[in-house]
Amino acid sequence: MQHLQKEGVGLMPSVTLYHWEPNANSGKPMLALMEKGVAFNSRYLDLINFDQHKPEYLAVNPQGTIPAMVHGDRVLTESTAIMEYVDEVFPGPPLMPGDPRDRWRVRWWMKFMDQWLGPSFSMIGWSVFVGPSVRSRDPKELEAAVERIPLPERRVAWRKAITGQFSAEEMAESRRRVAQGIRMLEQELSQRPWLASNQYSLADINGFNLAYALPLSQPTLSNDDLTPNILRWLRAIYARPATKACWALGRTSLVKRVTILEQPHIGGGQVA
Amino acid sequence: MSMTLYHGEPNGPSLTVLATLIAKEVPAQLHYIDLARGERHTLPVAQQPLVAMSIEGEGPVLVVDGEAMSDSVFIACYLDDVGQGAALRPAEAYARWETMRWCRQMIERTAPAAAYLGCRAHPPRADAATLEQIGSVDLRARWQQITAGQFSAAQLADSRAKIHQAVERIEERLADREWLMGAFSLADLESYAWLAGMPALVPEAFVASARTAAWLARVKAAPAVARALALARSTDPAASWSVGPEINRWG
Repeated sequence: MQHLQKEGVGLMPSVTLYHWEPNANSGKPMLALMEKGVAFNSRYLDLINFDQHKPEYLAVNPQGTIPAMVHGDRVLTESTAIMEYVDEVFPGPPLMPGDPRDRWRVRWWMKFMDQWLGPSFSMIGWSVFVGPSVRSRDPKELEAAVERIPLPERRVAWRKAITGQFSAEEMAESRRRVAQGIRMLEQELSQRPWLASNQYSLADINGFNLAYALPLSQPTLSNDDLTPNILRWLRAIYARPATKACWALGRTSLVKRVTILEQPHIGGGQVA
Repeated sequence: MSMTLYHGEPNGPSLTVLATLIAKEVPAQLHYIDLARGERHTLPVAQQPLVAMSIEGEGPVLVVDGEAMSDSVFIACYLDDVGQGAALRPAEAYARWETMRWCRQMIERTAPAAAYLGCRAHPPRADAATLEQIGSVDLRARWQQITAGQFSAAQLADSRAKIHQAVERIEERLADREWLMGAFSLADLESYAWLAGMPALVPEAFVASARTAAWLARVKAAPAVARALALARSTDPAASWSVGPEINRWG
């Protein structure tokens, strides 16, 4: 599949992106490439079907993590680092601000979301979406699939998601972090139009991948009454043509939740 | 532009930032704080959200025109941008990706392990009044566990394994080069800053790693690192530790 073919890009080596849904880590390089207007070959890996641990993909990324990007003969992993690469190497609108202190703020927020807030969202998401999606399968088949996961820590995470064994304390801590993260995002977005600087940046792309369904998944914590700046920000990102094109690639109900942002007003008592 | 760097002993995150500041000849006022006594939380800027909620744990804070910056690798990127002299990140985009990815692995996997082992061997001590000022609930919980001497056997074993893995990666990387990214870079600084104290605590990880041992000595002797180490107030800064980043709570 080719997207947003632009003149001049044809001289660059080809780009192939291995990704799942426009959601969390996969969506970060997808949206960054689309914002830059870079055509790429899309290779969809079905996370729920464990495509990322099959030999064809392990030949590309032996760690079996998604996403991975192949540019010419080079393979790149780690979604946030891939985004910085994409921004530096391709023409198109800059996605990092020019001011060095703004760039620090972009990186601070991306790390905070990647390593502190994201895993908490993800634990909740896995317990309500990924776990139930795979749990109906044959247990033997599931165990064999888990055994094929290269990274031991990912095996532990998958076992927990499949069996629904996140402890009450772990889930409570994730909910605490999500609530605090929402307060911090609202505070930061009350100071400037975009998350980390006065221009749209990789921090916004990163944040949207984390928070696009926030008023649906956390209706009592984030809505137009409680967090007007977060809602303004999410709608502004959703209004961008690249975001629309990117989320149109989604196949699951998880990603289609983004349409909540089409509602002009999401009040506190409205979505239960 | 007015700049003040609040830093601790030249080890871990303070070393990365101090050595970068010196290498890039950035004029900043240096202000020593005892990170191992939690003094970062007594600074006037401590409650700014991007300081209070830094997930690095106890690291340096750079204040530029009133804005307080935390997270040593990203402060170092900032100093690399605004300072003089040789760049500490490669100019070519793929090599920069490699550098950022390398640092990310250090931040995410090696730093929590090194800080955990370091704090067990050389416990930080903060009084109750200081602990109460810590803005981040999970950082305060890590302080409480560490000051109470509660270390989990599983996390200690995992931390030692992470140090072994870091040394293996470095040893492999150095097969054809003197510095991790070809030229001396932020990757060398960040990796050295967390590993300098590890030969004393996880000696077996360094036994069959002659290239890593030679590299540790090279980084230590690099002019900016040597000058940063000369700022130490203790005889062995590599034995100075405070509470670090959280050990990954979920895979």
